[in-house]
Amino acid sequence: MDKENVKRLISDMGAHDCVECGKCTTVCPVTRFNPEFAPRLVVVKALAGEEMDLSKDSDIWICNTCEICNNMCPYEVDYSGFIRGMRGEASREGHEPDCSQGGLLHAMMRIMANSDLPQKRLDWITDELKLADKGDVFLFVGCLPQLDAIFEGRNLDLVETARSAVRIMNRMGIEPVVSPIEKCCGHDLNWAGDEKNFIKLMNHNVQVIKDSGAKTVVFPCPECMRTFDLDYQDFLGDFDFEMTHISEFLARAIEEGKLEFPENISISTTFHDSCRLGRHLGLYDEPRKVLTEIPSVELVELEKNRDAATCCGVSGFMSCNSTSKVMQMEKMQDAKRTEADVLVTPCAKCRIHLDCSTRDETPVDNDLINIPIMDFTVLVDMALRGKLQIPDAQDKEARMEDEKPE
Amino acid sequence: MSDEEGKIGAVMVVGGGIAGMQAALDLADSGYLVYVVDSSPSIGGAMAQLDKTFPTHDCAMCILSPKLVATGRHQNVKLMMASDIHAIEGKPGNFTVFVKRKARYVDETKCTGCGLCTLRCPIEVRDEYNKGLKLRKAIYLKYPQAVPPVHTIDRDHCIGCGVCETQCEAGAIDFSGEEELVKVDVGSVILAPGFSEFDPRLKTEYGYGVFKNVLSSVELERMLSATGPYRGMVLRPSDGKRPKRMAFIQCVGSRDVQVGNPYCSSVCCMFAVKEALIAREHTPGLETHIFFMDMRAFGKEFDEYYARAEEEHGIVFTRNTRVARVSQNPETNNLYLWYAEHGKMKREEFDIVVLSIGFDSPKDVEKLTEKLGIKLNKHDFCQTDMFTPLDTSEPGIYVCGAFSSPKDIPDSVAQASGAACRAMSEIAGARGAMVTVKEYPPEIDVSGQEPKVGVFVCHCGINIGGVLDVPSLAEYAKTLPNVVHAEDNLYTCSQDTQQRISETIMEKGLNRVVVASCTPRTHTTIFQNTLMEAGLNPHLFEMANIRDQCSWVHMNVPKRATKKARTLIRMAVAKASLLEQLKPAEVEVVKSALVIGGGLSGMTAAVELARAGFDAHLVEKDSELGGLLRRIHFGCSGEDVQGFLERLVKQVEDDDRIRVYTSAELKEVSGSVGDFAAVIDSDGEEIETHQGVIIVATGGEEYEPTEYLYGKDPRVMTQLEFEEKLVTEGEIDAKCIVMVHCVGSRTTERPYCSRVCCTESVKNALRVKEMNPGIAVYSLFRDMRTYGFREEFYREAAEKGVVFIRFLEENEPVVSIDDQGKLEVRVLDDILQEELLINPDYVVLAAATLPARGNEELARMLKVPLNSHGFFLEAHMKLRPVDFATDGIFLCGLAHLPKFFEENVSQACGAVSRALSILSQDTLEGEATIALVDESMCRGCGVCVDTCEFGAPSLIMLENGRQVSHIDGALCKGCGSCSVSCCNKAITMLNFRTDQVLSMVESCFSEAKTPPAKREATVVEEVTET
Amino acid sequence: MTEAMAPAIEEEFQPSILVFCCNWCSYAGADLAGVSRLQYPVNVKVLRVMCSGRVDPYFILRALELGADGVLITGCEIGDCHYISGNVKAKERIERLSKLLDQIGIGSDRIRLEWIAASEGTKFAQVMEEFTDHITNLGPNPLKGSETGGG
Repeated sequence: MDKENVKRLISDMGAHDCVECGKCTTVCPVTRFNPEFAPRLVVVKALAGEEMDLSKDSDIWICNTCEICNNMCPYEVDYSGFIRGMRGEASREGHEPDCSQGGLLHAMMRIMANSDLPQKRLDWITDELKLADKGDVFLFVGCLPQLDAIFEGRNLDLVETARSAVRIMNRMGIEPVVSPIEKCCGHDLNWAGDEKNFIKLMNHNVQVIKDSGAKTVVFPCPECMRTFDLDYQDFLGDFDFEMTHISEFLARAIEEGKLEFPENISISTTFHDSCRLGRHLGLYDEPRKVLTEIPSVELVELEKNRDAATCCGVSGFMSCNSTSKVMQMEKMQDAKRTEADVLVTPCAKCRIHLDCSTRDETPVDNDLINIPIMDFTVLVDMALRGKLQIPDAQDKEARMEDEKPE
Repeated sequence: MSDEEGKIGAVMVVGGGIAGMQAALDLADSGYLVYVVDSSPSIGGAMAQLDKTFPTHDCAMCILSPKLVATGRHQNVKLMMASDIHAIEGKPGNFTVFVKRKARYVDETKCTGCGLCTLRCPIEVRDEYNKGLKLRKAIYLKYPQAVPPVHTIDRDHCIGCGVCETQCEAGAIDFSGEEELVKVDVGSVILAPGFSEFDPRLKTEYGYGVFKNVLSSVELERMLSATGPYRGMVLRPSDGKRPKRMAFIQCVGSRDVQVGNPYCSSVCCMFAVKEALIAREHTPGLETHIFFMDMRAFGKEFDEYYARAEEEHGIVFTRNTRVARVSQNPETNNLYLWYAEHGKMKREEFDIVVLSIGFDSPKDVEKLTEKLGIKLNKHDFCQTDMFTPLDTSEPGIYVCGAFSSPKDIPDSVAQASGAACRAMSEIAGARGAMVTVKEYPPEIDVSGQEPKVGVFVCHCGINIGGVLDVPSLAEYAKTLPNVVHAEDNLYTCSQDTQQRISETIMEKGLNRVVVASCTPRTHTTIFQNTLMEAGLNPHLFEMANIRDQCSWVHMNVPKRATKKARTLIRMAVAKASLLEQLKPAEVEVVKSALVIGGGLSGMTAAVELARAGFDAHLVEKDSELGGLLRRIHFGCSGEDVQGFLERLVKQVEDDDRIRVYTSAELKEVSGSVGDFAAVIDSDGEEIETHQGVIIVATGGEEYEPTEYLYGKDPRVMTQLEFEEKLVTEGEIDAKCIVMVHCVGSRTTERPYCSRVCCTESVKNALRVKEMNPGIAVYSLFRDMRTYGFREEFYREAAEKGVVFIRFLEENEPVVSIDDQGKLEVRVLDDILQEELLINPDYVVLAAATLPARGNEELARMLKVPLNSHGFFLEAHMKLRPVDFATDGIFLCGLAHLPKFFEENVSQACGAVSRALSILSQDTLEGEATIALVDESMCRGCGVCVDTCEFGAPSLIMLENGRQVSHIDGALCKGCGSCSVSCCNKAITMLNFRTDQVLSMVESCFSEAKTPPAKREATVVEEVTET
Repeated sequence: MTEAMAPAIEEEFQPSILVFCCNWCSYAGADLAGVSRLQYPVNVKVLRVMCSGRVDPYFILRALELGADGVLITGCEIGDCHYISGNVKAKERIERLSKLLDQIGIGSDRIRLEWIAASEGTKFAQVMEEFTDHITNLGPNPLKGSETGGG
């Protein structure tokens, strides 16, 4: 552990300001289920100049980086930023986290970072979709096609989010640019402390966008959006292109009267604030505005919503353990209690994790959690096409039929 | 070495085929010393010649070779190869056997099986293993996987040139060897000499030996085998071309009074179906026809297999016919088959013909029986009794496998275990008396120590050293991380080298050992013992296979092969550095067995357990013992079954070791092998017990027909009801009786064959004829499945005037009542192709045997599988017929599938034998290399529970309310699949931990990272590789 | 190929191939190829696992990341698995990984799954030969030389 680096980190993240009030600990979902852990302890130890254990079983890896603590801290200490910094230290020392899926995703990202292999990332494009090689609007698809391959058999069809985004844009007269050489944004590597490979991906992606000449980049994925907006710009300074999450993009379009919703069946929804979209980026109102503007859609709030929302339990495909599961069960029960027809999530990874949890052998009764999960962009697209419908809820029985991804 | 009664704790098994090996392993695992005597130079028997096995198409060698290795390596098994019984003296419990051991001219203790002698031997001889389709050398190994892997000189052909002697680095060749007579003391003897093949030359009408393209089924089997003469290709012997049309002729040397084999050989029908399927797989476009009389698909899932062969794979079955003769087209060497179909003579042309040859009694059987004094039946097979199917006429001498009647592998294996059980209980008091347990020094704890790896690189004579630069490999090993010692040895497995390894470990404080030599499959245990002798945990050992997978397969590129060996050693060292000491979990064994089901099988099991000295708890759902057997009164030869049952029940009830619970059922089971906790509900009272093992013998029941007016007319009854009537009424008032076969069996709903009903019908028909020969009996059947010696009863019935009428599935007989109130049966006779009308007094239905009603619930409770018909599914259809995949739970009797009295007895004894291998241990050592759950990382999702086939993981609730997976080490088999399926990688697979495997992956490519400048540019391999 | 011929093919690409073998069937098949002295390319290195079901897709991806030109996974024939269904699971996992490899541009043709029985020494040698040829034709792993892959 490089003492100088830690010092710099303490000052960058405002950790000096910690008054040890413990508010962060009281809201931390990990602490709630795993009393051994507390966000402030990590900071306190660092402040005390203690030599910290950075190996994979240490506290720095357990944190979900959901930032509910940051949100609560009266002195605006950036706990998750501090944790990420410490992970970078750990990574430089050769420590790696225990990754769910055995590190398959991280290896995939490293491979992308270090090579320019001809990816097949546009297989999802169908004839009906109109796309451009160059243009003002760039649609950053992210890892949806890869995630579909890894989680094949779960019938998630994550890439439908990209198709939906294109369909909506086409409806607005926009033919977005999608790139065959775009790479993973590097979110997971960044949060695993692998700064070196993260920077490679960053430089590549920024160049791809610059080369496309786009003025606006639209992100269906909150993680990509966060990574560009906050992390890339941290490194590279402000970009001269605009970055917008699909929810902002749609909210604006509705405001400007560019989208008209035909008749649909009535659906009541409840909305999951993913931590990247909500607490990290502060986008709470935009998705809600979109949902409430769809005539046949009703929005019921979860008990824990907006900045108090519980996280889906896993971030960056690290440590998906029983703490994660308790969070997921809580989220699903909260959603079921709203009596809404569907739980809408803006984040593909949240959808993967929540879907997974409902297929688990759980001590929670199936009836308390069996609410279908839908992607935000897909829902909007279906509503625009007059084809809104409620998907089937995933349950334990389904697990026996579909093959469980590993 | 004998107990107080002078009994000896050793058993001799005569015959080292699959039955002999199974018997030997059961005995050895239960604490008896076993001598396996076989006239062949290696064990394996007939199964070693097979390519695939029916109906699952398991690769025969894949499933056999672990058994070969286990038998060859077992410290309680002594192999006496190329040996025969010369004489026997003594009495049960204390025999002296004189074994004549032929010289093999190769010192078994020195031969390493390297095969260099064979490569250089100038003499080529017909290879009997490959049925003469291939040649072998005069010094040879019977087949590549042979155990023991010791070569033999065939002195009948050897010219004594001595080339082998010059080639043998181990100095194992010994031309001075002489036949010797060895005296062995044993308590019991088991005969498992198998069978011999019928000589198809005797059926001159088929032209075997005259027409080149007429093969025996065993020859075809060798052709189909990947290790066979044509590497799996089927070729016409006359021209080496691939055949287009192949015919199988069934019953060659079976069901044939003329050649002296009136019995059915039981296996050839399925054997032919299997060969036809595999031959088609291996030969594109091949048409296969099978000519037969009855398709005897009576085993588990055989009928489905038969149906698939016809419907899905297009095998053409020509039924109800025996091929009359084969003639040859002299120009093409094609063959004409002459046969009758529906009474008309037909001729069909094929380009290859396979004769499905039957079983003869073993070669030289008279000599064997003469020396042992046992009686043979009229077919020259071992004589046995219905009630004691595993006993010969001589007390203390038992029989199993094909020698007691032709049978397939699972039946042989079940019987072998059964014979082992009978042989053991005779000498129960002497268990453990003859076996020694090796003592090792206390284990040194190396946890926390930095890895200190020692590398031993083997020359294996010139096997490795002749190709690879072994000294340079040892030097290279010294440069690897953590390696503190490396050396090369001429033979690393030799006694003196092992001694030196042991000393080096102690001297240099090595805490990890790598041996780079041959294959870990055969040599791991040997070196692990060396580690243990030096006080090291045996799991701190890793092997690099630089012989079988390097020097032998890259002989022409020595430099590149040496470089590959470096990589293999580097990988082994990388893993070794991460090895940890493993301790298997120990379970104290409860010396008691739970037997579920109080019918013939359950009671037999309980009695045998008690004889072996263990407690048995027998749970019967009815208020009295006996099960389905209460409804069977006599055997085919008039045996008094009810008398036997009465004696058996009394024996069970009188035995202090047996506790009987009637009107009882199992409520709950937990725990695992060695200690199951079971709750029994007996007459409303709940009893909690602990049991070391569980035997499932839930039996079956007779199907209650809905067909043929059953239940609507009292003159229509089932065979069991008819049998009851015959016995209780003592006479039968009838002029005509019609019996209908396959009622409720072999239907769409229930596609399986109930196996016993053909014989049951024949038995009752014979009884009717015996009572009154004037009564007309018509037996309406589909395939007559009186396999084995039961065929004789079928013939006898036909001789006595029972009329057998074959009908096809689609032309089921119709039973109705005519206007005069008489029963009327209409049936289309398939052979005559005309409809017959019969007015019988009674219609007797051969009703199917159904699985017991409670099977599903019991299966759920025990977490063991059922097949689609509701019978329990064993661990392996061929080689583990009485085991479940879950350790410590066994099955027998009708719970497994419908079968005959004597088969049930054999299987029940078999289940007991398997159970004894557990009960005879005080503590049970689990696998050391098992999967472990890190609870802190587990999310309790249960994917591992679904992944595991052995029920090892289960979800438990921790005190803090979290659900996590827990793996029962006693049930884990160490495959590691759960570890992969775990999404959060909370499961560690010991000895194949993720970091261990990755360290090998990384080190496989790590040298690639060395800058090119450091490489030796002059040697091309060094430049081009990796 | 003999040593003497070696210099003539100095420039030829020699792939580096990792072979996962299950202990019971494929590894035994590999041993049988040895006992039978069947010759196959030196490029393959066997890593023994107890069951093909132990082969984590990550192991394969990691090997490719480190510069393996090809990875072969071998197991018992379906139905022959010593652990009943480990090979079935391996098959499903490798099918999924294949799709991912295609997507990220490594290409699923660098990995292959083969069933090799204990009696199939010949098949083992043939598969090694064929797969080595196949990978030789594909050319080096494009990750080689990158920081991720080996050089």
